[in-house]
Amino acid sequence: MRGEPILEVKGLQVEIPVEGAVLRPVRGVDLSVSRGETVAVVGESGCGKSLTALAIMGLLPRAARYTCERITLKGEALTNASPRRWRQLRGDRIAMIFQDPMTALDPCYRIGDQMREILQQHRRISSQAARERSLELLRKVGIPSPEERLSQFPHQLSGGLRQRVMIAMALLCEPELIIADEPTTALDVTIQAQILRLLREIQRDTGIGLILITHDLGVVAGMADRIVVMYGGEVVEVGACDDILSRPLHPYTEGLMRSIPVPGQTKRGDLLGFIPGIVPRQVGERTRCGFIDRCPYAVESCATGPVPLSAVGNGREVRCAIPAEKRDPQAWNRLAEAS
Amino acid sequence: MTVAANSAAPTIDRSMSPGRVALRRALRHGSFWVGGFILLAITIAAILAPVLTHHDPTAQDLARRFLPPIWADKGSWEHILGTDNLGRDYLARLLYGARISLIIGLFTVLISGVIGTALGVAAGYWGGWVDLIINFVVTIRLTLPVVLVALVVVALIGSSLSLMIVVIGLLLWDRFAIVVRSATQQVAQREFIIAARTIGSSTGRILLKEILPNITGPLIVVASIEFAHAILLEAALSFLGLGVQPPEVSWGLMVSEAKTQLLFRPWMVAIPGAALVALIFAINLIGDAIRDVTTPEGRA
Amino acid sequence: MTNDVLIMRGVTREYAVGGPFAKKKTLKALRGIDLTVSRGQTLGLVGESGCGKSTLAKILLGVEEPTAGTVLVDGRPLNSYDRLERAKLIQPVFQDPYSSLNPRMTVEAIISAPLAVRGVGTRASRRKRVEELAAEVGLPRHLVDAYPSQLSGGQRQRVAIARALIGEPKILICDEPTSALDVSVQSQILNLLHRLKQELNLTMILISHNLAVVHHLADEVAVMYLGQIVERGPSEEIFERPHHPYTDALLKAVLIPRPGSRLPDLGLQAEFPSPLNPPSGCAFHPRCPYAQADCSRIAPATRGEQRSYRCHYPLNLVEASLTSAAS
Repeated sequence: MRGEPILEVKGLQVEIPVEGAVLRPVRGVDLSVSRGETVAVVGESGCGKSLTALAIMGLLPRAARYTCERITLKGEALTNASPRRWRQLRGDRIAMIFQDPMTALDPCYRIGDQMREILQQHRRISSQAARERSLELLRKVGIPSPEERLSQFPHQLSGGLRQRVMIAMALLCEPELIIADEPTTALDVTIQAQILRLLREIQRDTGIGLILITHDLGVVAGMADRIVVMYGGEVVEVGACDDILSRPLHPYTEGLMRSIPVPGQTKRGDLLGFIPGIVPRQVGERTRCGFIDRCPYAVESCATGPVPLSAVGNGREVRCAIPAEKRDPQAWNRLAEAS
Repeated sequence: MTVAANSAAPTIDRSMSPGRVALRRALRHGSFWVGGFILLAITIAAILAPVLTHHDPTAQDLARRFLPPIWADKGSWEHILGTDNLGRDYLARLLYGARISLIIGLFTVLISGVIGTALGVAAGYWGGWVDLIINFVVTIRLTLPVVLVALVVVALIGSSLSLMIVVIGLLLWDRFAIVVRSATQQVAQREFIIAARTIGSSTGRILLKEILPNITGPLIVVASIEFAHAILLEAALSFLGLGVQPPEVSWGLMVSEAKTQLLFRPWMVAIPGAALVALIFAINLIGDAIRDVTTPEGRA
Repeated sequence: MTNDVLIMRGVTREYAVGGPFAKKKTLKALRGIDLTVSRGQTLGLVGESGCGKSTLAKILLGVEEPTAGTVLVDGRPLNSYDRLERAKLIQPVFQDPYSSLNPRMTVEAIISAPLAVRGVGTRASRRKRVEELAAEVGLPRHLVDAYPSQLSGGQRQRVAIARALIGEPKILICDEPTSALDVSVQSQILNLLHRLKQELNLTMILISHNLAVVHHLADEVAVMYLGQIVERGPSEEIFERPHHPYTDALLKAVLIPRPGSRLPDLGLQAEFPSPLNPPSGCAFHPRCPYAQADCSRIAPATRGEQRSYRCHYPLNLVEASLTSAAS
């Protein structure tokens, strides 16, 4: 699914001053998405993935500041874009789908009105034409009786339908890029499968680039072309989806894969793998590897300085100083026993 | 070959209790300091009134009426703020009047706070019929114009400090009830309340130990608002002659007695007026600071 | 009977919905639940929104009363126990570690509360018990004096588990115990539950929408849909050969984090029905890819004992006596 690049982000940093210190929830993230490609940004809470997405959309909370070397959207540099430019781009060229459909839609307005508002903000279009376009998209996302839905309020729809409406709203202006932040986490598992298939289908039809932010590796496996793993505000591993899933290089990715029970593969009654400890707070500069406190392979040299992200061939990058050959296969078991 | 990260034995920072965290944040708030300072100054002045002035606020000296304050010509250090129409020392009246204001504020807040909180918690926790009935009672209370009711009661029964406290206390509980009710509803939905029931806590225990400690934020804010409200109400009643009676002193009474002098000796009205403004301002600043501090800002 | 800790027969729970001016509607959260759990067993309750699993948990915890049916715990009806006795029988672990602990109480106070409420022991003896349990659940000792705001999600969940176990309950009800936690922490808590289950011979009811988790921990699984149990049986069997089409769909919907995974096509028609208006006949028929004409007219009864299902045309049946087993 290689195509022309749509989005390029280099060196994104987000800082939030808090009492007496400066939090750095995002430290030097690089990200790129091409036409028709799905890039999954994977990580847990505190890794900075949501803030990265918000920064790309220009939606950071006021207290946060961000800096970056470069953000380009189809060649246009957005690094110092004015708020007005951001408003033009949002909804038009870049659309975002949020996690909780119950709070992302305005409860006071009908669906039809909300969709028309988006269209009329970015296009000169009559109400009638806006209505036509809205219906077209509601049908495309598989919503039954779309005419009725236009005059309904969000609370009258189920969670799955609301999420489909969100997707329809994201597609209204034919954006080049969609950022979906945990789009199915709040949905039931049978609905999740349907929504994900829908997203995939739409992407195949329109060639939209998709950034999928999630903590769920199962979702990633079914959807992503490329994976970007984040931990502690940094990118720790990048690569093709199947490649990473079959051969994770970063100890964190390894640990994640070992801790998920897979019916048929994980033996019932066996202990699950786990990563001991908790995610540390992101304050100040890095003086050593960010994962060192929880890593089974860590050695003295990991504490001497920050570890850079290095390319290891085949489009893979990893932020680890210990190559695969030097890793002790029993290390995880020993760590498990020690905890 | 793991590198041991934290080799020091971990201890817990005991100063992280929610109460202390809130206090620390309040102390960092500018308004809290300004308001707190003013309130403290007024309180200390009220307590130390006999030390700060040797005059008796009720002692009349008709030979020395309408003496001007120290900054006007003919003012003297003997009567720093001058004297009123009956020769009573103004500074003494100001200081002793502060006592009345503070006492009224404190005790009425206690009475109305207890009534309002009890009703609010009941309505918020049980909902259903209890909520309906209490809402009805609150609505009835809201239809009563407070000042008029106070007037009527006082006119019928006569006025004294304790009566005023009771009357105002019985009238100002509505905001407590409303705010506590919604705060209770929010807390009651949280799972630790269900957990408390499943471990066998009695309802009383749940209300006292689980619900009440978690609604102190809004409760304190309302208390500060009603404190100011009560003081103003007393001043208004005394101004109308239906509150504190002579020979007792009250700022409202001082303004009332001086109202005929408004154009000739404006300082007589301005001084107790300024004192009222300062006190209410201080209380509002403190209330603001507490409100900012107890507003949840996101998860720890 | 002696080995069955929990027996539910025909448990129904209905709510009247709609204010004084709207037409009265009935929300049927549970419709005739029959369930038995033996001592030391772990039962997994699986289902999606609206299936009634939370209502079931609330009834077992005594927070709600069933509209009809009986619940027997240790041979006696649940409502014959008083508040404190019930607390000794059944304890919960909730989903949200951020709202299941009182933010104004220290960890010690929270964990010792079940004992304090009953007036058991002295403060010192309770403190000792708290420390023992903290060690059991893997909570670092210095955190006993902390407040919940100083703990991570995983640590809070450990506190919740310690609180549930300190009174030595007979049944532990875990309502989505790991859903709100990070993935790397989930396995820690699951391992903990697994170990405790074995050490203490706990009877556990694990409610979850995550089939992988249920498969891993539960001995038996009951699948719920719109207030009914549509399939029940030992974990391995349910996962390898589900009989009910809904179970089949749920299993297919589990996304495997392995290379080459594809998004499944569940073949489910239409949207989720509402418990306010359950479909006629079989509740699943509007969405069932294998539905036949009589599915909308006749509600299927539960067939089978230990391994049961509620379907006219079940899948994967080996018996030849059942005709038109859809494939």
